[in-house]
Amino acid sequence: MRNKRKKKFIGSPAQKKLLILVFTSAVIPAGIVALCLYYLIFNLLAWQIGIPEAVAYNLIPVARKVNLIILIALPITLLAIWTIALGLSHRMLGPLSRLEGELDDIISDEKSGPIQLREKDVLKPLADKINMLINKFSSS
Amino acid sequence: MVKNTKIKLLLVTFIAIITIGYSSFVFAGRLPQLFPFRKKDALDKWEEKIFKGRVLYKVRMRRTDGYLTAYSKKTASGIFYKLKFDPKKTPMVSWKWKVVRFPRKGKGEVADSDWIEKDDYAARFYVIFPKLAFTLTKTLEYVWDKEIPEGTIMTSPYFENIKIIVAESGKRNRGKWVFEERNVYEDFKKAFNREPEEVGAIAIMTDTDNTASTAEAHYDEIKVGYKHEE
Repeated sequence: MRNKRKKKFIGSPAQKKLLILVFTSAVIPAGIVALCLYYLIFNLLAWQIGIPEAVAYNLIPVARKVNLIILIALPITLLAIWTIALGLSHRMLGPLSRLEGELDDIISDEKSGPIQLREKDVLKPLADKINMLINKFSSS
Repeated sequence: MVKNTKIKLLLVTFIAIITIGYSSFVFAGRLPQLFPFRKKDALDKWEEKIFKGRVLYKVRMRRTDGYLTAYSKKTASGIFYKLKFDPKKTPMVSWKWKVVRFPRKGKGEVADSDWIEKDDYAARFYVIFPKLAFTLTKTLEYVWDKEIPEGTIMTSPYFENIKIIVAESGKRNRGKWVFEERNVYEDFKKAFNREPEEVGAIAIMTDTDNTASTAEAHYDEIKVGYKHEE
């Protein structure tokens, strides 16, 4: 059954590109914003406190805790973003891959019936129209 | 090509934001900078920084001249001045100070594990070397202590990037004005075993929060950012 998802990763270059695009476009701005906030908050506070002992006493323990949290949360966040990006790439390019496969099968006479895509696939209306077109050609 | 240009633009913007943000904290001025405390409003450009309670800093006038007084009772706060100079080119700083009363410290070696309890000094003069990340900021702290020998260099009990240099020691000169002149470039190298970068601020503090006692000191004629024999 070609219309069932067999792989977690689609090996097509288009999906790889899309996956990297979605991932980087989420990670880079988030990273910049996080870095700016981290830098601004701690440095502004350090300048505001001023006296080095007071900075060390009040701010450094907080910064160390925040660093530890970041260290733990960062891999989880990256994994979550990667999973979301993978899901999006599947949703966007999976139907196209299936449609291409169905058309290949029809062209190579491995299949004679209509193109079958899932009901929720975004390319389902297109597949239906292609089916109608094929029917029209075969009846004429 | 367009993609590369966009990434470069993004990076340049990011670096610019960080650099502008950093440099906006520190102001360059004419060197050497002098702080003679000759006017009642001489502290207007200094910022008060409170750690534990408020130390009373006041300019006391005597005819046409004046000096800064600091009175601390179980408190720790300092006054802070942002400036900018390169210690490689103009390494000297100098000031006059007078201790009227020392904080009451218990007897014992400074290396005691509880020496944070003794981290009070009648007079401190800070030279601060800020870095982009505040944890890398380094500080030289010149102190006048009652007991610790002059010339001692210690690491602050609060943080390893704060080095305490005993510039004056003992009660011998209590009640007298003492002139100090330091080469911060050489002192930094001795204390941190590396070359210093730009100075970003100076500060003064008299504190008695850890010893819960009272101290009083006077400061005058601060001069920063000059070459030797200038």
